[in-house]
Amino acid sequence: MKAEENHGNTKKFGMVIDLDVCTGCGSCMVACMAENNVPFRKDESDKLKSITWMRVYKLSNGKPYPETDICYLPRPCQHCEGHEGHSPCVSVCPATATDYDMQTGIVSQIYTRCFGCRYCMAACPYHARYFNWYDPVWPKGMEKYLNPDVSVRMRGVVEKCSFCIQRYQAAKNRAFMEGKADIEEGDYQTACTQACPAGAITFGDLNNPAHAVYKLKKQPNAFRLLERLGTNPKIYYLSSREWVRRAGDNYLKNEGPAKIG
Amino acid sequence: MDSAFIPNGVRRCAPGKFLVVLAVAGAVLLWGVYAMLLCWFKGLNQTNMNNNYGFALWIWADLAVIALGGGAFFTGFLRYIIGKDELKNIVNYAVLIGFICYSSALLILAIDIGQPLRGWFIFWHANVHSMLTEVAFCLSCYFGVLTIEYIPLILENRGIDRVPFLHHLGHNMHDIMAVFAATGAFLSFFHQGSLGGVAGVLFGRPFSYREGFFIWPWTFFLFTWSAAAYGPCFTLLITKITEAVTGKKLVKDNVVELLAKISGWMMVTYIIAKIVDTLYWANVTAPSKGLTLMDFYSHNAFYGVWILILEIVIGGIIPAAILITDKGRKSPAARTTAFVLAVIGVCVNRWVMVLQVMAAPVMTFDKWALYYPSWQEVATTILPVAYGVILIAISYRYLPIFPQEPELNPID
Amino acid sequence: MKIDRRSFLSLGIGVAAGTAFSPLPWKLMDDVSIWTQNWPWTPVPAKGESTWVNSVCTLCPGSCGISVRKVDDRGVKIEGMKDHPVNQGGICSLGLAGLQLLYSPDRVKTPLKRAGKRGEGKWVSISWDQAISEVAGKLKELITGGQAHTVAGITGGGPNTLSRLFKRFLTAYGSPNFFNIPSIDDSYRLALQMMNGATPDATVGLDLENTDFILSFGCGLLDGWGSPVHMFKTNTAWRKTQARVIQIEPRLSRTAAKAYQWIPITPGSEGALALGIANVLITESLYRKDFVDNYTSGFEGVVNASGELQKGFKQHVLDNFSPKAVSELTGLDPAAITLLAREFAKAKAPIALFGRGQGKLPGSMDEALAIHALNMLMGAINQKGGIYALPTPDSQTWPVVPPDAVADSGVKEPRLDGASSDAYSRLNQLPPAVLSGKPYPLNALLVMEANPLYTMSNSKAVQEAFDKIPLVVSFSSFMDETAQNSDLILPNHIYLERQEDAPLPAGFSKPVISLSKAVFKPLHNTQHAGDTLILLAKGLGGSVAETLPWKDFEACLKQAMGDKMEPLQKTGYWVNTGAVFPDGKTTFTTPSGKFEFASSAFCPGFTPVKIEGDASYPLLLIPYDTMRLASGYAANPPFDTKILEETILLHQDGLIEINPKTAQSMGLSENDRVLLQTPRGQANVLIHLEEGIMPGVIALPRGLGHTAYDAYIAGKGVNLNGLTGPVADPISGLDAAWGIKAKLSKA
Ligand SMILES: Nc1nc2c(c(=O)[nH]1)N[C@H]1C(S)=C(S)[C@@H](COP(=O)(O)OP(=O)(O)OC[C@H]3O[C@@H](n4cnc5c(=O)[nH]c(N)nc54)[C@H](O)[C@@H]3O)O[C@@H]1N2
Ligand SMILES: Nc1nc2c(c(=O)[nH]1)N[C@H]1C(S)=C(S)[C@@H](COP(=O)(O)OP(=O)(O)OC[C@H]3O[C@@H](n4cnc5c(=O)[nH]c(N)nc54)[C@H](O)[C@@H]3O)O[C@H]1N2
Ligand code: SF4
Ligand code: SF4
Ligand code: SF4
Ligand code: SF4
Ligand code: SF4
Ligand SMILES: [Mo]
Repeated sequence: MKAEENHGNTKKFGMVIDLDVCTGCGSCMVACMAENNVPFRKDESDKLKSITWMRVYKLSNGKPYPETDICYLPRPCQHCEGHEGHSPCVSVCPATATDYDMQTGIVSQIYTRCFGCRYCMAACPYHARYFNWYDPVWPKGMEKYLNPDVSVRMRGVVEKCSFCIQRYQAAKNRAFMEGKADIEEGDYQTACTQACPAGAITFGDLNNPAHAVYKLKKQPNAFRLLERLGTNPKIYYLSSREWVRRAGDNYLKNEGPAKIG
Repeated sequence: MDSAFIPNGVRRCAPGKFLVVLAVAGAVLLWGVYAMLLCWFKGLNQTNMNNNYGFALWIWADLAVIALGGGAFFTGFLRYIIGKDELKNIVNYAVLIGFICYSSALLILAIDIGQPLRGWFIFWHANVHSMLTEVAFCLSCYFGVLTIEYIPLILENRGIDRVPFLHHLGHNMHDIMAVFAATGAFLSFFHQGSLGGVAGVLFGRPFSYREGFFIWPWTFFLFTWSAAAYGPCFTLLITKITEAVTGKKLVKDNVVELLAKISGWMMVTYIIAKIVDTLYWANVTAPSKGLTLMDFYSHNAFYGVWILILEIVIGGIIPAAILITDKGRKSPAARTTAFVLAVIGVCVNRWVMVLQVMAAPVMTFDKWALYYPSWQEVATTILPVAYGVILIAISYRYLPIFPQEPELNPID
Repeated sequence: MKIDRRSFLSLGIGVAAGTAFSPLPWKLMDDVSIWTQNWPWTPVPAKGESTWVNSVCTLCPGSCGISVRKVDDRGVKIEGMKDHPVNQGGICSLGLAGLQLLYSPDRVKTPLKRAGKRGEGKWVSISWDQAISEVAGKLKELITGGQAHTVAGITGGGPNTLSRLFKRFLTAYGSPNFFNIPSIDDSYRLALQMMNGATPDATVGLDLENTDFILSFGCGLLDGWGSPVHMFKTNTAWRKTQARVIQIEPRLSRTAAKAYQWIPITPGSEGALALGIANVLITESLYRKDFVDNYTSGFEGVVNASGELQKGFKQHVLDNFSPKAVSELTGLDPAAITLLAREFAKAKAPIALFGRGQGKLPGSMDEALAIHALNMLMGAINQKGGIYALPTPDSQTWPVVPPDAVADSGVKEPRLDGASSDAYSRLNQLPPAVLSGKPYPLNALLVMEANPLYTMSNSKAVQEAFDKIPLVVSFSSFMDETAQNSDLILPNHIYLERQEDAPLPAGFSKPVISLSKAVFKPLHNTQHAGDTLILLAKGLGGSVAETLPWKDFEACLKQAMGDKMEPLQKTGYWVNTGAVFPDGKTTFTTPSGKFEFASSAFCPGFTPVKIEGDASYPLLLIPYDTMRLASGYAANPPFDTKILEETILLHQDGLIEINPKTAQSMGLSENDRVLLQTPRGQANVLIHLEEGIMPGVIALPRGLGHTAYDAYIAGKGVNLNGLTGPVADPISGLDAAWGIKAKLSKA
């Protein structure tokens, strides 16, 4: 019980995404869809109805040509810790269909429990949650590529990035079979991290000094999205550009990211 | 032939005319039912809701209807707990309207959820931290209470009353109604509040997030208070409409004025609280998240400060001012205007707390998202109105809803 | 017993209460919720044994190593192969979606013969025997009629064994008309040939890992240029080494956004800017004098054929390309040009690159030579961080079979594209030749791993040309535009179902060959195109059969790979660690024996490519490439179309990028529907306002506007090729167009 309350001593998986090298290519989005049996439809151009657990946003500095600058920002679920695991979405779910795991920091989603009230979506400021407005349908024969480690969701429920939790399970099983006490950094990597052709995403245990994310998150250029809301997310971003760091949160005119603790 | 079921001492229109009304309302109802079936069988893709608008038109209707149905619990509270005896002349109608509102709300929720067949998970796998859990429990219980409050009224039907068992049942239920009214009032205070909490606890949404007291955000109290304040106005407005449609006076002015006066003063206190809340939010809460008031009312095609003015000034201060003055209350025109404005005011509040919350961007690179409902949403939202008309028509025809009706409309 | 009202009611209440307290409703409620969790129309993937098979992705020239996860015999995931020298575990969005291509229900599953009119989509399935004998029969007829040379073959397969086999087949058959899909690679080869004296078949090597300053003249380094994933990895490495990328293009592409500096210039003036930079380098003596003095010719002067001394590169540049003159052409401040030149010269290992976007089009040779001259001035030739002409891997270990008389005379006929040699394919010249029937009509076209009907510009003319060809045979297992408009389809296995070699990816510094494996047993009644060629040869008999003597493609490949086959099968790739790289000091095989800045035949100058369109077209339309759109032989699989931005594709409409200022001056706003017109065609598009594009320029992506493949890509957006036409480069004859003039009007 004690250990559970003290999230500090358990694993806390998270990411550091380097926006200086992310090219916005979208591989992470496809890697995620391919790994996690995300369906697709003939017209996916209405992004408000399209399911993309990982979504790459395009940010602009808003300046006119030729001072224009753009930056791409991949946004998986931020696996918010909130205050003592009260992430914005978890505490609102009336049916306990989404959960904050104190052992890993992963915000999970139980599709068969979810009854589709979408309250969690209203709660998430990152639009990381997606509703299955449609029955998932694969063109005949294409359902062959579905991953047996990830359940296919039915119409009417909410889904989201799971940090590829099936890979964590598999890594733990492998470690157990091999008699290892614990999994190593390389044993559990998410699909998007692996695929990224630019190597922009680093994934690991934010609590483990031996993991790359531990050091990366402390870089002076690191920031999190909407930190001021108290969502306490586990995705860190790096950018050498001031306007990008500033775009990570809302600031009053007289404030700057540097001034905010 | 149906005259055997019509209450004593009142006159009702010819059955043919009555059936026409039922048929028209029934057609609208069927349209709504068709849309509802589409939503159930084809899924919520029949709506224009989307991942930004997980809550949309009918959730607003849901909240609005519950706020408006607040007349039932508050009138009951005044009648049975506070002992405002005159209100017995309108409490029946308040209960009926409440019953319609709450049953509609439950129906809407059953259409709204993506997995209606799993709706009961909300009870079975209840999460005590969730405002929606609180809403579900209180709403269902209170609907039960309203049903219990409505049943004795049904039992008073002339035909039914002839069955001795039912006659006694009705009589006994009347005797214990105060207990239910008290329970209902208590439940209502909570679920009205938890509905307010639904948006207020969203700390990821600076537009709706409010600090508060203990586990409850200020919106919790504001919702309860506003339902108590504005609900009676809706009861009175529907009464007024019923009077206009039937061409009869059904409730005496002193009753109406009493309820209107209480409602007016409630509104005064509410609107002061609301203004304080808004000022605190605009000057403390929002800036602490890096946002200014105008961030919520600019850079989009629809939501301007006008909506704040409509809600607080036009839908709040003005009707309150009318209803607390003797002159305003006594003038039927001013009074009715106040009722209408009040209903608009509370509906706008609920709209803002559902739809503007979803529309306002939070991430700096998000855009305002506006949405318009699909016909299926409109139809299912209108469905309760048709259903309400039918239930009121039937109840009015066959039940002694208005105790003062025979006195006010003597049959020679 | 008499049932009165009272007992009836009691009974009713009793039954209701009884039911409520019985397990029945609760059980039903539970069952019904369980049913919703197992809806029969929601698939449940089967469990099984999980294995990984390594192979190579050949969906683009990138040749990335892939690991395919299989559960029993189902493929469930494609990932980048860890430690593969090309992609080091990374993989692009197209490669990731490969299984959607494999399992697509819209593949060509068996040989098909056209039943209705061409392009109508009516087919009858035929057997492989019939398919082979029909094609062989037609080809035989043409031989008999002395028309062997009127057959042509197009391949997009790159310089791999299958392409070589295809070419060998055509040569033995008696046709000179073997075409590759041309690209910037051709311009690089030609530049190296002209200036470095490389052989035409040498491969261009770029030691990008070791450069520290990349002057990119519009190369979409992060938009699919070269070997895309490899370029991404290289770019990330540049971040660490603090190498600077300077991106010169009129549009803020992803590459420009990631670059150290984005320099927008007037499109088409790239060559002038290069010469302007050269001017500063020379004026301020910033170039590598030792290299230029010792290893080059044509810098100071050129002796022409009649023995007279003419102006060399230096004087030419000094006379015509002062920063001020160049400023007028490019729209850049003269000071900015000078500064850029100084930065370029200051770098330890700078390189200048050409090839717009993904390098799909060869582009202007003038521009290529001007830019390559910068490499030359900095001595970035054949040395660390520079550009190499790499030796071609020696895989031509096939027997030499003397051609028969028909073949001998056939291959001596002129090529239909007018090219004097087969080193470069002027594919853009093919449609006019076919339409005019000159020098002779095209009687049969075989298309392999390419989709010219979609990818070639001036779609209308290409379609008309196709309509004139009596026999079109496709080898595609995708129902692409070309396949859809053919007479016979002899479907190849798709890349995951067949074994073949993937050649050296473009812009790589080391010779690498990878082996693409048959990860899956063919799903359908398809056949390896190599086997089909061998069977066709057998059907034709004679010296054609003798020239393709193998029992199957596997045997042919084995012989081609020789001793590389073993390591290839073991690790999936082969790196020529022993390759001897040419060094900067060894002589060049040019006539002068030196690197030539200019010769009697050429001198880099600036002759702008003549862009089509008169003054009635006030705007400039340029194409752009994005990693989220496949625009070649492979079209977007559903996943990739899903991730397309709504600013590129909105429902069925394509969007055109335009600067808000330009749009405002025309009274246009976001998502307005407009008619886009060019001298070559017109289309309806929606407006997308984008600050990151030069005013007056509008841009459309490549890869949309398909009329074939499946419902997930067909009918969406606009095919840019329907709006553009080729412009023949005066030096290479290849397509040099980079855009076309255009106008917009409210639709
Ligand atoms: N297995 C396999 N491999 C592939 C692909 C595939 O589908 N399957 N796709 C390929 C694709 S689409 C591309 S673009 C390529 C990239 O291949 P690139 O390297 O971009 O190749 P190309 O421009 O086709 O040709 C480059 C070289 O091919 C040789 N070559 C071309 N034509 C001739 C010719 O007529 N005669 C001789 N002797 N040599 C010639 C020249 O030596 C030239 O230097 O690689 C890809 N590799
Ligand atoms: N950069 C570059 N371009 C080339 C060549 C080259 O070596 N380098 N070779 C040229 C040659 S020789 C030929 S024959 C032609 C072949 O040209 P084609 O046979 O006409 O086309 P492919 O190269 O097979 O097409 C592969 C497609 O994949 C797409 N693609 C590449 N990377 C990605 C990605 O990461 N994501 C997505 N969604 N799509 C991607 C590209 O848009 C490309 O259209 O190509 C030419 N273009
Ligand atoms: S795959 Fe990598 S580079 Fe591409 S968008 Fe995702 S994070 Fe950025
Ligand atoms: S990002 Fe959204 S869905 Fe994910 S944990 Fe945070 S609030 Fe929940
Ligand atoms: S939609 Fe599902 S997960 Fe979200 S709050 Fe409702 S029941 Fe919970
Ligand atoms: S961590 Fe896994 S589930 Fe989350 S975005 Fe990446 S691939 Fe998708
Ligand atoms: S870059 Fe080309 S070769 Fe590499 S994975 Fe993508 S499509 Fe395949
Ligand atoms: Mo190619």
